[in-house]
Order: sequence, then C-alpha cells, then structure tokens
Amino acid sequence: MLKILLMGHPNVGKSVVFNRLTGANATESNYPGTTVDYEKGYVFIEGHETEVLDVPGTFSLYPKDKAEEVALKIFTQEKDAVIICVLDATKIERGLYLVLEVLERSRSVIIALNMWDVAKDKGISIDHDHLSSLLGVPVVPTVAVSGAGMKELIFSIHEACTSDVKSIVERAMV
Amino acid sequence: MLTEDQKWELIDNISRKTVRYGEYNATIKDAVAELTVKPLTGIPMAIAVLYGFWSFFGAIAGFFTDGFMVKLFGGTESFTGIIPWFGNQFTNHESILFKLFIGDPGVFTPGYAGDICFEAGGVFTTGLFVALGVVLPAIFAFYLFMIFMEDSGYLPRLAVLIDTLFHKIGLHGFAIVPMILSFGCNVPAVAATRNLETKKERFMMMALLAVFIPCGAQLGVMLEVVPGYVGMIILYLLLGFFVFGYVLNKIIPGKSPEMLMDVPPYHMPRWNNVKRKLWIRIRGFLKVALPLVLLGVLIVNVLYLIGVIEYLANTFEPVLISWFDVPGETVAPLITAFMRKDLAVAQLGAIEMSVSQLITSVVLVSLYFPCVATFAMILKEGLQSGLREGIVFLFSSLVALFIVIFAWGGLLRWILVLAGV
Repeated sequence: MLKILLMGHPNVGKSVVFNRLTGANATESNYPGTTVDYEKGYVFIEGHETEVLDVPGTFSLYPKDKAEEVALKIFTQEKDAVIICVLDATKIERGLYLVLEVLERSRSVIIALNMWDVAKDKGISIDHDHLSSLLGVPVVPTVAVSGAGMKELIFSIHEACTSDVKSIVERAMV
Repeated sequence: MLTEDQKWELIDNISRKTVRYGEYNATIKDAVAELTVKPLTGIPMAIAVLYGFWSFFGAIAGFFTDGFMVKLFGGTESFTGIIPWFGNQFTNHESILFKLFIGDPGVFTPGYAGDICFEAGGVFTTGLFVALGVVLPAIFAFYLFMIFMEDSGYLPRLAVLIDTLFHKIGLHGFAIVPMILSFGCNVPAVAATRNLETKKERFMMMALLAVFIPCGAQLGVMLEVVPGYVGMIILYLLLGFFVFGYVLNKIIPGKSPEMLMDVPPYHMPRWNNVKRKLWIRIRGFLKVALPLVLLGVLIVNVLYLIGVIEYLANTFEPVLISWFDVPGETVAPLITAFMRKDLAVAQLGAIEMSVSQLITSVVLVSLYFPCVATFAMILKEGLQSGLREGIVFLFSSLVALFIVIFAWGGLLRWILVLAGV
C-alpha cells in the first residue's frame, strides 16, 4: 500500500495540507511547532486507499529537539513512502535544503509550494515548471487554506520520483 | 553527499534561476507586524491584549455562569432550578444514595440561605453544575480567544516579547508557547515542550507549568469562588514560576541554549478552523473531563460517608493549620485535586473559612500535585527517555513539588497577614 509523508519546515502548513487531503482534524495554528507528534489519515488516490502521515516540522534531517526526532524516526521507518515536501513559497530557499537532504537519501519526492497566494501578494513569482525541471521532481503550487492546488497535488502524487543530486548540480550550476 | 555549503550554493543558483522578487509595498499588515514585536510599542500592546483576554474570559464565562447557569441549577423565585428539583424527587433525604448523588440534606431544607449550587455537593447537583455550569462556559470563552491568538500569529510575537524576561530563568523563545498554552490545559502544554531543545529546558518547563500554571477550567471556577482575588492569585503563582525557575536553572545541570524563533506573518483566522478547534476542545471536555468531575464528586462523597475524610482531616489538621492556616476540611478538596483541580476549587468554595484561608487554599490546590491527566502526560514524556531517567525525573519532580508546596504555599499566609486580607 502506498504511503505518503508530509514533511517540511515548521509552520509551512503541513497540517492544513493534511486536513485538506484526508478530511482529518489535525490541529492547525499559526505558530511554529503546533504538531509535535505525527497524525495519520487516509485519502483515496485513483481508487486506492492511501495512508498519509502528518509529520512534525523539521529544519533538517539532523534533529535538534523531540519533535524533530519524531520526524526523523518516521522518515527512516517508512522507507517506501512518498514524501510530499511542503515548502513556504515565500521562503523556498530554506525549504529546498530539506528537499536536497531527502533527495540525497534516494526518496521519491513531490513538492507542494504552499502559501502561493501569500507569495503572490508579496510580489514573489516562482517559475515552478523550471524549478521542477531543475530538481527533476514534480512541483505543485498550492494554497492549502483555500484548497487551491490540492486536486493537482493528489493527481500528481504518482509522478513523485527520486532525483540524483549530482544531475541537479549539473543542471543548476551552469 | 553535498556538504552544507555546497547545498546552499546549489540552492542559491536554483532560486536565482526560478524566483523573481517584484516590487513590494509594505502594507498595514506589515506595519502592525512591526509594531507588535518592537518592545516600545509591543509591550503596551501585549498588556492590552492580555488584559483584553482576561476581560473577555471573565465577561463571557460570567455571562453564561452567573446570568444563566446559576439560575438554571439553583432556581429563582418563580422557577425551581435543577438542583432543588432533584431534591424534590426524593422523600428520604437521609438515604445513602441521596447523600452521594444529590448531596447534603441540610442544603435541601426550606429557607436554606447558602449557595446551593456549590454547597449541595452531590454528583448530579454540584458535580453537574461545576462541569456544565461553570467549567464549560470558561473553556468556551478561553479557547475562543486563545484560538484567535494561535491562528492570527500573535502567539509567537508574544513569545518574542516575553523572551527577555524568560532569559533570566534560562528559558528562551519557544518556552513561552507551552506556558501560554498551559493556561488552557496543562496536558497539551506538556506535549508542546517537545519543541524545546535540551532535557534541562524540558524538565524545567514541565515542572514549572504543572505546578504554577492554573488551567482554564480552574480559573473559571476561581472566578466564581474567589472573585476579586483571581488576579492576585495568578500574580502570586507567576511570581513563584519565576522564583523557582531561577532556582531550578541554577541547580539543574545542563545547558539551555539560545533558540531562535520564527515569527510567521499575520493571517486572518479562518472561521471554519476556529469552529473546528473549539469543537475539539469542547468534545474533549465532555468526553474526558466531565466523567472525571462526576467520578471525583462520587469518590469524595463515599470517603465522607465511610469516615475517611474525617480521619484524614484530623490527621493532617495540625500541619494544615499550623503551616498554612487552612482548616482540616480542606483535605477533601485536596483529594479531589488529584482528579480535577476545577472541582477541588469548587469544593473549597463550600467549606466555611475566612477570605485569607480561602485564598491560601485555592493557591494550595493550584500548587498541589498535578491533575491525573497532566500527571499521566508527564509520566509518558519522562519515560520516553528510558525507565531509569524517567524514575529520576519523577522523583526529582516530586521533591521539587514538595518543597514548592510548603515554601510558596506557607509564605502566602504571612503575605496575606501583612496585606491585611
């Protein structure tokens, strides 16, 4: 059975994405560190029941507190899970660091560029197709609070893939 | 694998190729965001917000409790309340069942002048009144405001402001979040300490909040039992929080490193999320807390009937009177406090004593052993770091607790004497 992990920095909206995907009741708040333990929910993708885990926010795969330890533990245990990396579109640089770490461990990744609306308001525009081709994994802009982009995210989950960091370097450093 | 520097260089290149930063004009939202974190403007605003919180809590909880629930349960001249109605259903007021579930027969005599809601003392009378009439409105009012603070993004800003104060006791930035959460309920607050970086910080925070921070349910009952003194009691508890925090910081080995905290942009709270979170809280209260309140009343009533309370009261009376100057009868609420502190405060309200004794005993109940839900949570968190460490953790917390009760609880008596209360 396919499993999905939601990973990303604290307060980028993982729990909101989680609730939108699964209809669950994970607590959503606007402060970093709301989720301190993982939550489990289910979503139907192409007729298959798929388990989704909402993981506590983490800055990197080197944990520095209990909540991040939980995140790393789930990440290591669920070896075959697809990772939805949730990024704050207004600060994608920070989120990409975690993405690179995850890709280095040869995991299937799809990126949700969340808070797309806030980024737009701030005058930040991101060429997400180009970002996707550089990284070699799908990138979907989302506004989880309103639900925008969530359908596309679900439809693109089967396109989640691994990507060799060396070839990312080749594509991006020219 | 790439080194950290190589990763950042790569990210730099990726973002240069994909991200464009357009013209950005600061909005009113940004101005507010600035003003609420700058100390000069932020601190007065924080005081205003917290004062608003307090007023809102008191007004809404009071509106429902005094304006509606007290009349519904206690009755008015033209309307027989739930509690007298229950009393009227029984002809034999001296039966055991009556004493357990309905309460003190003396309260049900015609012309009784006391506060029937608190003084009846039965499972279906005072038990239901405290749970549904006092605590439920308090929880509703508290979380309604709290959820707005959480969802708007004000909470982390408050944390940044109080940070300077917290530095003095070796706690930083994020430690304020569990503390504020714990005014709602200590249980999620203990879970929130998982965001703290070192064991020292976690231990300190768990111990301090379990001992010194009264929960929303307790505050709601305090508003009914000692109106006019709640602010003073909170200040005394917060002072204890800092004094013992300072001491713990000095004596516990380990570090509490500086921690940076992200301040998110303000968001308008979404009504659906507010409703959902409020419902989660209220459902949790009805499912978990309500049965515990009723069970607490039942257990204490059974202990009264078989004489255990009287025995304990006589045994502990010397300590209670000489050290804290509170009557021996307070052992009954102290037993209930193991289960629900809100109920314990309510039971204190039914005991005859002076105002200063009432204040002291309310503080004692707060400082006292954490309620069973909090205790279970702390135990779970403590045991996660191994059995041995868990036991050390538990033992040291109990010692700390014992010292705090006697030192901080005993001191209050003399302060009250000096203040002339």
